[in-house]
Amino acid sequence: MVQYNFKKTTVVPSGKDFIDIILSRTQRQTPTVVHKGYAISRLREFYMRKVKFTQQNFHEKLSAIIDDFPRLDDIHPFYGDLLRLLYDKDHYKLALGQVNTARNIIGKIAKDYVRLLKYGDSLYRCKSLKVAALGRMCTVIKGISTSLAYLEQVRQHMARLPSIDPNTRTLLICGYPNVGKSSFVNKITRADVDVQPYAFTTKSLFVGHTDYKYLRYQVIDTPGILDRPIEERNIIEMCSITALAHIKAAVLFFLDLSGSCGYSIEQQAALFHSIKRLFMNKPLVIVCNKIDLQPLEGLSEEDMKLVMDMKAEAIKSVIAQGGDSNDEGVLLTMSTMTDEGVIAVKNAACERLLNQRVEIKMKSKKINDVLNRFHVAIPKPRDTKERPPCIPPAILEARAKANVETEKRKLEKDLEEENGGAGVYSASLKKHYILDDEEWKEDIMPEILDGHNVYDFIDPDILQRLEELEREEGFRLETEADDDFEMDGKELTEEEQALLAEIRRKKKLLIQEHRIKKSTAESRPIVPRKFDKDNKYTTERMGRELSALGMNPTSAINRVRSRSISRRGRKRERSLGREGEAMDIDNDQSNKKLRAMSRSRSASRSRSKSRPPGEVTPGEGFKDSTQKQKAIKIAKKSVKVRNKNARKGEADRVIPNLKPKHLFSGKRSIGKTSRR
Amino acid sequence: MRLEKCWFCSSTVYPGHGIQFVRNDAKIFRFCRSKCHKNFKMKRNPRKVKWTKAYRRLHGKDMTQDSTFEFERKRNRPERYDRNVAEKTLMAIKKIDKIRVAREARHHKMRMKGKPAIERQAALTELEKSINLVKAPASLLQESQITPKIKVKIAESQPVERMEE
Repeated sequence: MVQYNFKKTTVVPSGKDFIDIILSRTQRQTPTVVHKGYAISRLREFYMRKVKFTQQNFHEKLSAIIDDFPRLDDIHPFYGDLLRLLYDKDHYKLALGQVNTARNIIGKIAKDYVRLLKYGDSLYRCKSLKVAALGRMCTVIKGISTSLAYLEQVRQHMARLPSIDPNTRTLLICGYPNVGKSSFVNKITRADVDVQPYAFTTKSLFVGHTDYKYLRYQVIDTPGILDRPIEERNIIEMCSITALAHIKAAVLFFLDLSGSCGYSIEQQAALFHSIKRLFMNKPLVIVCNKIDLQPLEGLSEEDMKLVMDMKAEAIKSVIAQGGDSNDEGVLLTMSTMTDEGVIAVKNAACERLLNQRVEIKMKSKKINDVLNRFHVAIPKPRDTKERPPCIPPAILEARAKANVETEKRKLEKDLEEENGGAGVYSASLKKHYILDDEEWKEDIMPEILDGHNVYDFIDPDILQRLEELEREEGFRLETEADDDFEMDGKELTEEEQALLAEIRRKKKLLIQEHRIKKSTAESRPIVPRKFDKDNKYTTERMGRELSALGMNPTSAINRVRSRSISRRGRKRERSLGREGEAMDIDNDQSNKKLRAMSRSRSASRSRSKSRPPGEVTPGEGFKDSTQKQKAIKIAKKSVKVRNKNARKGEADRVIPNLKPKHLFSGKRSIGKTSRR
Repeated sequence: MRLEKCWFCSSTVYPGHGIQFVRNDAKIFRFCRSKCHKNFKMKRNPRKVKWTKAYRRLHGKDMTQDSTFEFERKRNRPERYDRNVAEKTLMAIKKIDKIRVAREARHHKMRMKGKPAIERQAALTELEKSINLVKAPASLLQESQITPKIKVKIAESQPVERMEE
């Protein structure tokens, strides 16, 4: 039995989407890099591949669409008719035909262009050919985009059709609008069909399922049918007509006895007679609904006559099928409002259908294959002795007792319920403890005390051991009190203590100084003592420190003073008597300057035989000697202060600025800018 | 609920604290805080890490063997509840604690007993060695020369003076 499931048809993309999908797939799944320097065969192959790939994809997708959509002639006539009705048959076929043609055209395009590409002689030409090919294929698809849109609509609608199996057991419900068909279906199945007071609430077929004798029955609810010639019927009515026509099912024709549907019994009878052809070979049950409003017996004579006519017709069909001519299953009454007779109707219909189907099956050839399954083997009794099952009497007694006992015992659950339920009452878990004394049951035992686990200390003879321990402790205390502190006689005197303190202080200072020196060693210049600007190293200081150590500093100071340069320099100047300026300014200049001057003079004297300082040599780049002298002056000035402070400059291999801004500014495209 | 001991530092782990690590051989390591846990992960030996109890016990800084430690032992057999026993146990715990603390203090005192003597000796040697920071050898010499000016007629003192000169 093939299940007609139209939900699995492939989604039909719109024209634009289709093109996008295929082109992006081509882009992704074929190689993309090509240079004009490649061999021509390689270039041709590259572009041919793209064209062929695109064509193949189009072909696949279009074929999938064509295959998945059902061909109206090949499926069950019920579905064929239904689809023909719902989607205009011509339009449907045309759309699919267009898709097919598109597929063929695209194939031809691809073939042509591949042939042309074989003779492409440059990258540019091959590329243009490929562009043209793909462009033409896409135009074809654009041309069928309306058909694709229509097919997508059809597909979506088809997916929502109810899945009716035309071959299985089915109950078909028909009648005028508003007679109570959908309510009946709601009652016997789980389908939730809309029930409203206006006509044509049900606009399409609905399926529900119900069970009878362990078998599943489909129940199809149809839209109401009006009494019209077939040419004038609209699509909704045609749906039910189609169902009636093609599905082999039990038909339940609904009659509204009260006329509250808006149509009289005559009209309904007229309808019945006009469609009775469709009821041939189908078990027919005439159901009179809404008997709570109008019971069958209370009908007027004409109405009764009409109803009986219908019944007669129905019986005729029963006889035609070979069933017995009793009228039990033919005319039934029920009310969906009061649920009276609903089940009876269902059972009757199901029974009739089942019988019919079984008959047919029995008459078919396949029955012989299945016949062996119908035999139930029963062993032949060998004698007439009765052998009932044997239950020992003890078990019977126990069973009887158990029934009595279970009512006597009070459970914890009952107790809980008595005292207020689950949230209010909490059962006492300690109730059944077995202890030496009953009062101890509710005791709370501490587990932790002062950072110890109490359970670790529990011991039956703990007290005894504790006593021993305390005794021991007592002994020990006594013996210790006798111990005295032994005092040595070797104490330090006051002086010695003062000296020691002094020593320690000095050591500390030394250590501190050393630490500072060590930590600043790299950035601290080593200033030779003659450039000491703080005047730390003076004779007064030396004298102070020496006397602190307990020595007489005068001899040391004298020795130092006799050897100082200033004194020596002065003596030499006076003896030589040259360069009178020096003598004039002698008293005004400081010692430092004197020392500096004396040094530079000796240096310059050694150089006096070479060139004067302001003379311009040709390769240097100076205009004249004044410019050069000025340059020398500026250079010396810029370096003077730094030299005085004995600081490192560029010539001393020092990088003053490790990350100059002009080299490290700007953003990176990727990565961090913490270094370059 | 139990108070456990930290595997690394041997301090108590209260409920709600620390981390418990179970190794593939099913040995359980409990740590009181992340410091111990991280040290463990670094594979440090607690016997070599100064601040742990294991080190202190190993190097004799803390008391190791004592009868007060035997009172606290994990017993695996459950005992039936007895109110009197419970009362006595609770009182006993307090007393045992007191005694244990007193003993530990005594141990510490014994350990520190020789300290003043050592300090004094250290002071003397320092004084001897580093006297040159406060007093120049020349002045020391003068002093030593000054003092024996007190005339003491002892024949033995003179060879000593000559060595100093």
